Amino acid sequence: MSLNIFICGVGGQGLVLLTTVVGNACAKIGMKVVTGEMYGLSQRSGAVSVHLRIGEDVFSPLIPYGEADILLSLESIETLRYVEYLKKDGVVLMNKRIMHPPVETSKIITSKGAKYLTVEDVVSKLKSWTPNIAVVDALRLAKESGNVRTENTVFLGCLSALEAFPVDENAIRESIEEAVPKKTLEQNLKAFDLGKKSAHDSLCTLVQCRQPP
Amino acid sequence: MVLKDVLSEEKRSAFMLGNEAIFRGALEADVKVVAFYPGAPTSEILDTFAEALDSFDYQMEIATNEKVALEVCAGAAFAGVRSLTAMKSVGTNVASDTLFVLGYTGVKGGLVIVMADDPHAHSSQSEQDGRFFAPNAYIPMLEPSTPQEAKDMVKKAFEISERHRVPVLIRTVTRVNHQSGIVQLGELHRNEFKKVKWKELGEEYATLGAVARQKKLKMLERSARLAEEFETSEFNFTRNTGSAIGVVTSSVSYLYVLEALKMLKLQDRVSILKLGTTYPLPKNTVKAFIKNLKKVVVVEELSPYLEKEVYAIAKDTNPDLAIFGKNSGAFSEAWEYNPNVVAKGIASAMGIAYAGHEAIVKEAEQFKEIIPDRYPTFCAGCPHRATFVALNQALKIQAAKGQEHYFANDIGCYSMWIFPPISRGDSSLCMGASVGVANGLSHVIEERVVAVVGDSTFYHAAIPALIDAVHNGNKFTLLILDNSVTAMTGQQFNPSTEFTAGGRQGKKVPIEDICKAVGVEFLEVVDSYDVKNNVEVFRKALDFDGLAVVVSRRECALYGDRNKRSRGEKIVPFYVDKQICKRPYVCLRTFYCPAYEIDEDRQPRISPELCDGCSVCSQLCPIKSIKRVEGET
Repeated sequence: MSLNIFICGVGGQGLVLLTTVVGNACAKIGMKVVTGEMYGLSQRSGAVSVHLRIGEDVFSPLIPYGEADILLSLESIETLRYVEYLKKDGVVLMNKRIMHPPVETSKIITSKGAKYLTVEDVVSKLKSWTPNIAVVDALRLAKESGNVRTENTVFLGCLSALEAFPVDENAIRESIEEAVPKKTLEQNLKAFDLGKKSAHDSLCTLVQCRQPP
Repeated sequence: MVLKDVLSEEKRSAFMLGNEAIFRGALEADVKVVAFYPGAPTSEILDTFAEALDSFDYQMEIATNEKVALEVCAGAAFAGVRSLTAMKSVGTNVASDTLFVLGYTGVKGGLVIVMADDPHAHSSQSEQDGRFFAPNAYIPMLEPSTPQEAKDMVKKAFEISERHRVPVLIRTVTRVNHQSGIVQLGELHRNEFKKVKWKELGEEYATLGAVARQKKLKMLERSARLAEEFETSEFNFTRNTGSAIGVVTSSVSYLYVLEALKMLKLQDRVSILKLGTTYPLPKNTVKAFIKNLKKVVVVEELSPYLEKEVYAIAKDTNPDLAIFGKNSGAFSEAWEYNPNVVAKGIASAMGIAYAGHEAIVKEAEQFKEIIPDRYPTFCAGCPHRATFVALNQALKIQAAKGQEHYFANDIGCYSMWIFPPISRGDSSLCMGASVGVANGLSHVIEERVVAVVGDSTFYHAAIPALIDAVHNGNKFTLLILDNSVTAMTGQQFNPSTEFTAGGRQGKKVPIEDICKAVGVEFLEVVDSYDVKNNVEVFRKALDFDGLAVVVSRRECALYGDRNKRSRGEKIVPFYVDKQICKRPYVCLRTFYCPAYEIDEDRQPRISPELCDGCSVCSQLCPIKSIKRVEGET
């Protein structure tokens, strides 16, 4: 059995840290994990993606098209950019946050009638690919945790709620402790809990989750 | 990976990036001197060495370019000390002058050169295939597929290097450097760093003419010995032997092959030869593998490097062998592969049905019709954006006076001027070339040439071209964008600050001092954020009848933010005062900052989470509607 998660977002949102936490947790519990990370030019504000693969029979650092179980998107627009990786009935776990690139804003002010893409537009488009779409307001939860930069940790909480996510929650928590700056630890753990709780409110109506604590 | 893992003395497993595994392999091999010029996808090797510098006793340099980095390592290796450098594909071009001669001179201490190719040109100007350096320079080459193999090969490479007195290339691709996986840590036994007495070594490393001719013969003998040794290397292995159909592969393509065979449900029906030592090629190993095959598929990205060897070996060994690869049309020489591309190629070679991935990719296209492109762009607070705004205004004013321009861009964050919505640039080639081509263009075109180069690129390769310009009296305008660090690859230190690797104290080499020293007559240094002033300075520089150099200086916003955070300074964002804003959109039309969006009243809005507080947009607003939060000015 394997679990393929395609993670995408915008440079600066902490995708690599999210991946590192999961990877380190896998190392702790002796589980095979392979990732392929693409950031290159996009330190900030560009499109960033990570292929995260857990399981004994995964080899390639890239997920084959149509084989991702979960498309985890830290920014709404980016979800559509990588939809070819998602299984037809796969799970979309998407941030409600939308970050309009300068190209889009530029178009809005130069052409009459041009409108921003909305989260609703993205969701309605995605519905013909999969009915399993969970939208998480991670920015709000991150703010609630006391650190606006913990959106990535909110999603770690969401993943941990899933039954299909094979990594032990304690290993993830331990791994968060090792990976984040000490002074942000409490906020990150809070963000994790808030993420897990929010999953039980939305994501878990779509897919099998662990029992809430 | 966390630093604790890469430094662990325990023999256990850890999750590591390919680049971190390369670091760990070198550390386990007791490397004593490392030198790098940063370049994607290798930068994390440098960064990890810099981060761990205080924990170990190796010497480290962030060198001014790849050639210097290689020479730093060669110097150490001449004296019998183990050294390692890493460079991106095109960095090897810069280092190649030294690389070729090291094939002749050889080394005493282990010298390992990591060369990272970038199929798909994810973060490079070309897709060059660096494997050809190895046979051309007679330097052995190993190609890892996974982080584990990268670590093992680096360690082994030091032994090979010392046994054969030759530098060893570790050739990776982006998908190996930026692949993470579980790595088994080996023993970390470090000997104390000690200086050696050169005279006692009795070494010499000169080559020229008759000496070179003798060394060439020795080099050929060495390659023959290496080829023989590689016949039994653990890095070359087979899987599922005995099938009539085989695959020859190397590097990350091996992993795609495994995945593709799984997708095609052919795991047990195809034999695989995975090559790890790709120069000199273990020809007998290849011969033995293909001897009884009916069909062979060669799976490798970019050029048909292995494929040509397979053709040559098959000619004598198995003339009826059907060879599938780039020549047969099963695979392309363009772009990187993935499991689907490899599955399609293998299926076509085997004549079996494979639905392929075109349908799903095509279907997904419709989902993307509604989304905007997200090009990499300047960060909020980036000084380059401010410089560009001023330059653009100056160019417009000059254009109205009849002066036209050629814009020569270079390699760095400012390369992104070529992307929409800015989309400016007549040329952008390779490190330092903007100044080089400006020299030539200034002889032959009527327009005024504007060349742009960053601090790190200036030190790297632009200085000889600048001297050329002064010496020959060439007339153009050169902007040197000094943001203190090598920003694009992760804000590494360079001579623009007084810091060296690991933040240690070094000596600053101010760019303006170099310009003065070589005889630049028009020289101005400005603050990148001071847009109004800079428009005037740039105009003067464009009008100057000769070489005009302007250094636009302001630290990289990411680097600056980090410094601010460590000093405990707050980043105070700006906001648009909705009462004042009449929507002239000057901020948006000229500035393109990613912190900006339009609100429901079609007024610009600044995201406080993204704003860097640079103030530049507030300078641009003609009605002063952009203000600092908390009323500060």
